[in-house]
Amino acid sequence: MSLYSSAVKNPISTALIFVAIAILGIFAFTKLPIDLYPHIESNSIMVMTSYAGASASDIESNVTKPIENTLNSVSYLKHITSQSKENISVVTCEFKYGRDIDVATNDIRDKLEMVKSSLPDAAGNPVIFKFSSDDIPIIILSVTADESMPGLYKLLDDKVVNTLARTPGVGSVSIMGVPKREIKVYCDPYKLDAYNIPIESIASIIGTENLNMPAGSIDIGSNNYSLRVQKEFGSAQEIENIVVGSYGGRTVYLRDVAKVIDGMEERSQESYINGKKGGMIIIQKQTGANSVEIARQVEKMLPQIENTLPSDVKLGEIVNTSDNIVRTIGSLKETIFITLVLVMLVVFVFLGRWRATLIIVTTIPVSLLASMAYLFATGNTLNIISMSSLSIAIGMVVDDAIVVLENVTTHIERGSSPKQAAVDASNEFALSVVASTLRVLAVFLPLTMISGLSGIMFRQLGWMVSIIMVVSLLCALALTPMMCSQMLRLKNKKTKMHEVLFTPIDKGLNALNRGYAKLLNWAVHHRRQVVFIATGIFVGVLGICGPFMKSEFFPQQDNARISVKVELPVGTRQEITRDFALKLQQRFAKLEPEIEKSSVSEGTADSDNLFASLQSNGSNIINFNIRLCSVEKRKRGLTELSDILRNELALYPQIRKSQVIAGGQQGGMGGQQGVEIDIYGYDFDATDAAAQEVVKQFKSFKGVQQVLISRDAYTPEYRVNLDREKVAINGLNTATVSQYLRNRINGATASEFREEGDEYDIRVRYAPEFRQSIEDIENITVYNSQGKGIKIRELGKVEEAMTPPTIERKDRQRFISVTAALPKGMASSDLLNGIQQKLNKVHFPSGISWQVGGTYEDQKDMYSDLFTLLLLIVLLVFIVMAAQFESLTYPFVIMMAIPFAFVGVVIGLVLSGTPMSVMAMIGVIMLIGIVVKNGIVLVDYTNLQRERGMGITQAVVTAGHSRLRPVLMTTLTTVLGMIPLAIGTGEGSEMWRGMGLTVAWGLSVSTVITLVLVPTVYAIFAGNGIKHQRKKDKKRIKALEIATAAVTVSEKSLKIKI
Amino acid sequence: MKAIFTTFNEAHYDAILAILEKTNIKGFTNWEQVRGRGSINGEPHYGSHAWPTMNSSILIFAPDADVADLRKRLLDLDSQFPALGLRVFTWTVDE
Repeated sequence: MSLYSSAVKNPISTALIFVAIAILGIFAFTKLPIDLYPHIESNSIMVMTSYAGASASDIESNVTKPIENTLNSVSYLKHITSQSKENISVVTCEFKYGRDIDVATNDIRDKLEMVKSSLPDAAGNPVIFKFSSDDIPIIILSVTADESMPGLYKLLDDKVVNTLARTPGVGSVSIMGVPKREIKVYCDPYKLDAYNIPIESIASIIGTENLNMPAGSIDIGSNNYSLRVQKEFGSAQEIENIVVGSYGGRTVYLRDVAKVIDGMEERSQESYINGKKGGMIIIQKQTGANSVEIARQVEKMLPQIENTLPSDVKLGEIVNTSDNIVRTIGSLKETIFITLVLVMLVVFVFLGRWRATLIIVTTIPVSLLASMAYLFATGNTLNIISMSSLSIAIGMVVDDAIVVLENVTTHIERGSSPKQAAVDASNEFALSVVASTLRVLAVFLPLTMISGLSGIMFRQLGWMVSIIMVVSLLCALALTPMMCSQMLRLKNKKTKMHEVLFTPIDKGLNALNRGYAKLLNWAVHHRRQVVFIATGIFVGVLGICGPFMKSEFFPQQDNARISVKVELPVGTRQEITRDFALKLQQRFAKLEPEIEKSSVSEGTADSDNLFASLQSNGSNIINFNIRLCSVEKRKRGLTELSDILRNELALYPQIRKSQVIAGGQQGGMGGQQGVEIDIYGYDFDATDAAAQEVVKQFKSFKGVQQVLISRDAYTPEYRVNLDREKVAINGLNTATVSQYLRNRINGATASEFREEGDEYDIRVRYAPEFRQSIEDIENITVYNSQGKGIKIRELGKVEEAMTPPTIERKDRQRFISVTAALPKGMASSDLLNGIQQKLNKVHFPSGISWQVGGTYEDQKDMYSDLFTLLLLIVLLVFIVMAAQFESLTYPFVIMMAIPFAFVGVVIGLVLSGTPMSVMAMIGVIMLIGIVVKNGIVLVDYTNLQRERGMGITQAVVTAGHSRLRPVLMTTLTTVLGMIPLAIGTGEGSEMWRGMGLTVAWGLSVSTVITLVLVPTVYAIFAGNGIKHQRKKDKKRIKALEIATAAVTVSEKSLKIKI
Repeated sequence: MKAIFTTFNEAHYDAILAILEKTNIKGFTNWEQVRGRGSINGEPHYGSHAWPTMNSSILIFAPDADVADLRKRLLDLDSQFPALGLRVFTWTVDE
């Protein structure tokens, strides 16, 4: 028994099966986590190798090169880049997307085992480090305080960090910009020299005095007692009273040679939030955890945490990546809802009956919810891709159901009982409905098979739409017939309201129908002209609009975040940096009232704060984190606001380097878009000059403000140049001298001061006033093994020197990258083509070459993947249609619609000024499956009319006349389904706008043109076919005549012979 | 004893069975999904792409007395839904 007849016979089971599917979907929907994109596993692995004391070029030749040469043979490697700087080599292997990163890590580990023996002996073991997008902080909280500032670190550490770190999914929580408590022992070098006490012995005495030690246990009488020495410092003052030596028979106390200060650490990062001193708390997630879920939990905990803090300590949010995700998905949900309503309206207007509308519309939630079950079962998330799939599918799922319902109605009108009509009608159209679903699958299933980044991005889209289409087919063949048999009635009484509402619509549609029939009649009688006009439109539009087409990788998403990095000259004192940072913060706030919260941090990060120390930091570096108000509340976009900040920063001559990153991240999906030129060449000076030339060329474009060179300039520093001979004569060695230097300037951590379960460093060093000049350094006393003090000046010279920059290599060649950020209104293709043209004219010295770098390669790969896919899909769609019609001509005629879909896409993109992006490209691919639909309906019905005995011209016109309504209806459901995507202004709408635009424009334009062109071309081909057939027939008749004549002649001759 | 041959659009099947039930006629043979075309304004029922509908036919044997009522009921059904199509033929047979 067929599906539809058993469905009609068993309405209860059928209904309940679909209800079960829907319930499963709803369950999955409520459980599905939210994210911005499908999970993209990191594709980079870093190998860090330290080699203390080696310069950048030593590191390059002794460490980086051997590692690079070995790792280069790891499979699936895309690029190998490296940075060689003083003391450390960092080699980064970038793998092709989709490569299992754990396998890659193992490969790298194996290769490193091989290379270890050829590294210098003093080089450390190479350490493998995986950095993924999971390490990017998901929430940054701001903390402001007044009176509690001095104890803030402990307060935050106890009350906030510990509580937040306990939240499931939270990876690490760190405090930034709040100085830690430190017990500082500031020594006076003159007094130390006078008493002949080196800092080292003070540090070791403090260490040995600050002690609690168990001494065992003793039995006294019948009891057993444990014995302890408990002499840990109870307060900072206690430290001052320890004895550090004796001089001339008198005891020297620490207070005689040093001050002990219980205060904050000296060099630390400071933060200001909206001009007020405070700190930041950085929350990172565990790998694979869901940011939105964590953010929700953190937000829930914050008020509770705030209650436990003193009243002057205020917590706020600076960055919350989940905000953007939640709002983006929210606006997408809204879009889907609008789409649903629009599709319902279209169906209602065209069918004019609420029962029929209800039957059709029921298929939408059922099919969409089924795909939710898929997402849940495969561990995916609700993200931009999966949600857009829903939006795309809404307009298409109703098509099959409409075809079936229309036919059931025809049968009922003829007199069948609804039950019988439902079975017969479904039977008649089952094949063509299956074929149309197959055609859609031919478009979307290949999407599930592509590899690389496009694979990760669009696999979900492919699966989602395929599943939705298959479920909608099941609906059309089971649920729709069943509902028709139960709900449709023969005598449909028309109410007055109905008449008032639908008579004008009906009249309008009829007039349209008549007009179209007239047009079609003209077209089939003027076939050449029609083909000529169509070709003209195609060539004309592509010729005129084509050159204005722009392209980009992914649209820049307005996520209301800007980060700014400002570098002042190296060596700028922290106080000056701080003043400048605060001044900038004020200026920014004045320039852009859209700024909701701006936090700025400057200073050297604490080395045990992993996140802060990974970011560039220093007393001359200022980092801004700016949060803008939401997109709906402001007129100026992210790019425009970033441009304003860039212009402002350009006004300050003291800024050595500045970078404004719109969106807080560069490149990739939704991040700031730019164009990167990589310059390859060995010679530093030559490549520097070439880089400057590229910068000049970039700046010649109007609006381009921010161009950055990856290589730093030589930076100044002081070096203590020791004379080995003098060092040796004095019974010292370089290691000892440098250790002494470090202990005096940086300080020696003598011990830990313990209080209430927390530990604070006790750091012994020179008092600040004794380490301020070269002379101070030269006057440092170093003691040799005989206890004799020798000044640094006697051992060597303190000189000012320039440190060579980091040596960067890509694919085993030295390179520098020059990156220009895109200003407002410029697409990446504009700048890219422009700069390529200009650079082609520039003559670079031999040995210097350049290439477009950055995300351009990913973009190229993705576009070429998608183009291949496009061709494959065209072929597959052709095959499906050829099988459906059992003809090679008709699919060809129907495919006439595809070029005009491109025409529509070009017009749409150029008119709206939207560049072609990967998302728009996906729209184009989808179009192939969608635009042929109208052609199929027309050709199929024309064939039917011809089989029923009509001539070509009459068949074409009749078919057009009777199929205009269904064509318009299915087209409108799809186009209106896309319009909310195309014109959406909500957060994140930039991402799917391109896709909505391409589908809406492509389908509309191609529908208008194919409605005339396809019947005309059909008439041409069918006409030719008939002519051909007639010729063949004539030939056959002639041959027959000749044969008959020959037979007659031979008969005659036979008779004569007889 | 008469033989009644009726051929009709398959949609009529349930209604005709109901008529047989009502007229208390028990003996019949049914062919489902038969192709054919009527002689008066006959739209073809070929189950093809162009003519997708199909016919059914029933051969009924009934006593002479019951035939008139049956014929009348069947023709009533036909006039009720002229678009579907139903034809009835009778002839005398030996048992």
